Amino acid sequence: MASEIWTEKYRPLNFPELVGQNDIVKRVESLTNSLNIPHLLFAGPAGTGKSTLALIIVKELFRDSWKDSYLELNASDERGINVVREKVKNFARTKSLGKVPFKVIFLDEADALTPEAQQALRRIMENYSNTCRFILSCNYSSKVIDPIQSRCAIFRFKLLEKKDIEKVIQKISDRENLKISPGALEIIYEGSEGDCRRCINILQSTASISPLITEELVSTIISNAKPRDIRVVLDYALSGDFQRSKEKLLDVMLKESISGQDVIKAVQKEIWNLPVEPEIKVKLTEKTGEAEFRIVEGSDPFIQLQSLLASFVLAGLGKQ
Amino acid sequence: MQWSERYRPSCFAEVMGQNLAVEKVKKFIKDFQKNLHDAKKAIIFYGPPGTGKTTIAHVIANETNSEIFELNASDLRNKEKLHEILRPAIEQKSLLGRGKIILIDEVDGISSVDRGGLEELLLLIDSSSYPVIITANDIWGRKLNSLRKKSEIVQLKEIDYRIIRDLLIEILRRENCFIKGNILTNISVKAKGDLRAAINDLQTVAGMRGYSDILIDERNKETDIFSALRMIFKGKPHNDTLKIFDSVQMPIDEIILWLEENIPLEYGGEDLAKACELLSKADIFKERIYKQQYWRFLVYENIFLSYGISASKNSNKNYAGGFTNYKKPMRILKMWMNNQRISTKKSITQKYAKYVHIGEKRALKEFPLLKQILLNSVVQKELKLSEEEILYLKEPAGS
Repeated sequence: MASEIWTEKYRPLNFPELVGQNDIVKRVESLTNSLNIPHLLFAGPAGTGKSTLALIIVKELFRDSWKDSYLELNASDERGINVVREKVKNFARTKSLGKVPFKVIFLDEADALTPEAQQALRRIMENYSNTCRFILSCNYSSKVIDPIQSRCAIFRFKLLEKKDIEKVIQKISDRENLKISPGALEIIYEGSEGDCRRCINILQSTASISPLITEELVSTIISNAKPRDIRVVLDYALSGDFQRSKEKLLDVMLKESISGQDVIKAVQKEIWNLPVEPEIKVKLTEKTGEAEFRIVEGSDPFIQLQSLLASFVLAGLGKQ
Repeated sequence: MQWSERYRPSCFAEVMGQNLAVEKVKKFIKDFQKNLHDAKKAIIFYGPPGTGKTTIAHVIANETNSEIFELNASDLRNKEKLHEILRPAIEQKSLLGRGKIILIDEVDGISSVDRGGLEELLLLIDSSSYPVIITANDIWGRKLNSLRKKSEIVQLKEIDYRIIRDLLIEILRRENCFIKGNILTNISVKAKGDLRAAINDLQTVAGMRGYSDILIDERNKETDIFSALRMIFKGKPHNDTLKIFDSVQMPIDEIILWLEENIPLEYGGEDLAKACELLSKADIFKERIYKQQYWRFLVYENIFLSYGISASKNSNKNYAGGFTNYKKPMRILKMWMNNQRISTKKSITQKYAKYVHIGEKRALKEFPLLKQILLNSVVQKELKLSEEEILYLKEPAGS
C-alpha cells in the first residue's frame, strides 16, 4: 500500500528519480553496479537526498531482501556510542546471504557524535569492515574527524535549486490533482530553503486544507508553523510588562519544547528587528551573550532568561 | 505499617482472584471436620510468591476459630527441633479450648536441606489430630512424593493484573491517596501476579514526592517563607537579613524558586533588573557548588539571595507599605505537567521519525508543520498511532 505521507509516497525509488544531485548519482550508481561499495560519507544540508540515496543503494544491492541487510541508526537519537556499538554488533553477527558479501549500516547525523565517540566509531568501522559497509551522513563534513573521512568516499550534496524543487512540486501536484498558482510555487520554494522534505511537507500541509494552493494559503501555513512568539515575549518586556513577558516565555519554552539555548539564539537574532537605538542594541546583545554563556556553564536557563528580560524592560524605559 | 500486612484478608470473602482454590479449601475443612475416614489431614498450597498461600492459611484459622501454630521450616532445619516443637503442639489440648492448625511455611526449605525433617513431617501428619497446612513454591520434586500422597493439593495461580489493579484502587481509597491510573496499571502488570509485590510498590510510589504530595508538603512551610520574603522585599537590608534563610525550613534550591516567582511582584525597573541579576549570580554559584563540590560558595549564594536582593531596591522608594500576596512557585509544577503532555508528542514524533527515516530531534523541530499532515486519519493508521496520541493531535495547540 502506498503511503499517505507524501515524503514517503514520493520518495525516489531508483537513481534516475533523485533530483538535483546528478553528479553524485552517476558516481554512486556505477559503484553500486560493481556490487562493491566502499564506506561512504554523505555531507550536505537536510532534505537534499542523503537518506534517500542510501535507501536506493541498498534496494539496488539487495533487491527484495534489502530489509535484512540494512540497519538504519540516527546518531543524535541513540544514547551514546555504546548503544550504537551494541546495535552494530547484533546486526553484523549474521552474514549477508546472496551475492553481495556485506551488509549496509546507515548512520544518520554522524556529526552529532563527539570527537571521542567518533574515534570509537572508527574502531567499530574497522572491526566490522569484513562484513559491513557504513554509509555516514552529516550536515558538515568538517565536523567529522579526519580518520573517518579518510576511510570513506565523500559525496557533497548541494541544496536543491529552484528548478529541482519545481519539478518535484509539479510531479506531486499532477498526481494529487492540485492546482498551484505560480506565486504559491515561489513561496513554497522560499519556505523550503532548498530542503526537499520540507517543501513536500509544506505542500501536503497546505493541500490538506484545500487542493487549490494559493499564495495566501501557503504563507499562512508556513507562518503558523514558525515560532514567532519570542518577539511577543520581547515586546511585552520592552513595554514594561515584565510579568506577562515572563509568563509568555515559560509558555513558549514549554509548549514548543524549545531549550533555553534555542530561545537565546532567537532573542539574539530578534534584537536587530527591535525599535530601539543602535547603542542599546549593542548593549542588549552584550547582555544576551552573557546570559548564553551562563546557560552554557550550567546555570538554570529560565533564571538567566528572566534576568535578561529585566534588561529589556530597562531598555524599554530608555535606561539601559 | 506495611500495607501488605494491613490489608491482608481475614475471611474467605476477602480473598480475591483465587476462587477455585478457596472452594477446594472449604471442602477440605468440611471433610476434616466431619472426620471422614479417608479425609486427608494435610493440605498443600503451592504457587509463586505473593499469591496468598500464607494468607489463606491464616484465613482458615480465623474462619474455624482456631489457633495457628506456625513453623517456618527454613528456620527449623532438623529432626530434633521439629520433634520437640511439633509434638507438644499436637498432643496438648489448646488452653482456650480452641482448635489448632499447624502451619508449615515454605516446605521446600526442609526438603532440600534435611531429609530427616521431611520424614518427621510425614509422621506428624499421621499422628496429628489437627489439620496441617503446608505452603511451598514448588512441590513437584521427587523428594516430596510421599508428602504429596498424604495431602490435598491446592494450586494458587498468579493473580490477574486486573484484580490486582482493583485491589490497589481499593487500598488507595482507604488510605486517602491518589495515583494516576496508568501508574497503577503499570504496577499491576509489572507485579506479574505477585500481589504482595504490587502492594509494596504501591506503598513506595505513594510515599514518593509526587504531585499531590508536593502540595501537602508545602502548606506547612508557607508561613516561614512568606515572612522571609516580606523581610527581604520590604525591609531594609540588615545584618539579620543574612541569617533569614536559617529559620526557613526549606532547601535553598526551593527558596530560589520562591524568589524567582515573587521578585517581579515587588520590584520594577532598575530594581527589578538588579534583583534578577543577583538571583542569576546566586544560581551560578549554586551550579559551581555542584560542579566543584566546594561548599564555601554557599556563602555567596546565600548573601546574594538574602541581603543582595533586599539591597536591590532603591532606598528612596517606599516598599515597606502595602501588603503583597506572595505566590507559590509554579514553574516546576508547570514543567512537570508539561512533561506529561510532551511525552505524548514525543511518542508521536518517534513513530513518525522512524517511519520516514529521519532523526527524532529533527521531527520534533518540524512538528508544527507536520501536525497538519498527522491529522489525516489514514496517516494515523499508517503510523499506528494510539488513541491517546490521536487525541493529543486533535487538541488545539496550547490548551
